[in-house]
Amino acid sequence: MTYVITEACIGTKNTACVGVCPVDCIYDAGDHFMINPEECIDCSMCMPECPVEAIYPDDEVPEDMRHFTTKAAEFDYSSIAPGVESN
Amino acid sequence: MTGMKQRRLEEVKALSVEEAVEIMRQAGIVGAGGGGFPTYVKYKAPQPCLIVNATESEPGYWGDKLLHKEHLEEFLQVFEAMKTIFGFERISMGVHEKDREWFADYQEHASDGVYDIRYVPDTYALGEEKTLIKHATDTRVPRFLETPDGTRRPGMPLDVGIIVNNTETLLNVYNALFLGKPLTTKFFSVYGEEMKLKVYEAPIGASVSEILRIAGIDVEDSGHLSVTDGGPYLHDMAIEELGNGDAYVRRMTNSLFLLPRGRQGKEYADITTDPPKEGIVSLVGKISGVNLPLGGGLLKPATPLVSEGDEVEYEHKIGEPAEEGFSIGVWASMGGAISSVENDIVAIAGGAIPQEEAEAEAEASSAGGAPPRGEAEPFQEAEAETSR
Repeated sequence: MTYVITEACIGTKNTACVGVCPVDCIYDAGDHFMINPEECIDCSMCMPECPVEAIYPDDEVPEDMRHFTTKAAEFDYSSIAPGVESN
Repeated sequence: MTGMKQRRLEEVKALSVEEAVEIMRQAGIVGAGGGGFPTYVKYKAPQPCLIVNATESEPGYWGDKLLHKEHLEEFLQVFEAMKTIFGFERISMGVHEKDREWFADYQEHASDGVYDIRYVPDTYALGEEKTLIKHATDTRVPRFLETPDGTRRPGMPLDVGIIVNNTETLLNVYNALFLGKPLTTKFFSVYGEEMKLKVYEAPIGASVSEILRIAGIDVEDSGHLSVTDGGPYLHDMAIEELGNGDAYVRRMTNSLFLLPRGRQGKEYADITTDPPKEGIVSLVGKISGVNLPLGGGLLKPATPLVSEGDEVEYEHKIGEPAEEGFSIGVWASMGGAISSVENDIVAIAGGAIPQEEAEAEAEASSAGGAPPRGEAEPFQEAEAETSR
């Protein structure tokens, strides 16, 4: 299980989720933040923090946003750094 | 009917919802798992299901598992009583898969039909209640929902008819309903760099430095260490540099975790610990002073019932819950003289300040000025034992 950051993060990139993540698994993927599913511990703390409700449990991601799940699963995280909280 | 007094099982079961809620409020019970949410508020509107969160997840946490081991009978009674009082259709214990053997006695008693056990994956999830609900039931707490006034808020367990309370919180409910005993202590681990893990029951408001000394740490000579209130993942910094400043045991302190100054707690995420052979060690009656908060967090400060100079005994009521807002009763976590009531904190027996600081203040004030905070009579251990 993991959580997935979707469309609404683009253009928002509020970093509240980054601040609460206990395992620092939220990365800055350019347009939006992204959760590394290999590192996510399924704690759900990020979900209510998101002011634009962009974060879903992976089995509740709406049909038209599923590509975010795929992208997060296939991404090479070694090439980018964890997000930094800046709120 | 709602006074703090001993009650037999049948008497507890005869309490109304309102009476039981009032006892919890007066007893000062808040979520001991770390949330600190006032417990009585959750039971004002009873839900069909209670989930007992026994999945303490931070590496090094043993308090809840030890409490289950030592208080099986108490948990069985409080489950039975709460099922009757609040009309729960179901009480489920949430237990990690890895802890099946530890909870074998509970599995055996589950066949009595009062409660069941839901085993959940060991995945570390901070004991988070929404994650627990996801794994322990077929239900999902909604991500967000509309409120009647048109705003949106994150979903909560009660949105799906569930109350979640952690182990220690429910033991505190047992103590209040059955023993008439208010909340005055907290269970937590002390562990980390340079020491073997210990689990203490300590008076709320006790000095962290004093507890570390009791645990065998040379506080004054350990400036290279920090101590957090909380585990490797989730914590607040308690003392950045040991020997310099102090912190106090809170109603939601679950551990004091020692690590080299400047290091990140998360670097210790994979530590493994064993439960202490001696079990839980009580420090009640062994602490020189406390600083007891009348409120804090979501809590509106209780109205103090004592003033400077008053003598109080252990478990003497010192704060009456405020009428408005979330507020709880506050009770003396040790006997002694009230040394100050200021900033919504009641200090007993000089407060929870390191002894040398107290002595320095005493010297400074002997030249005139305010009476020293460290001068109160030392707490009599024997009295504490008999009054428990």
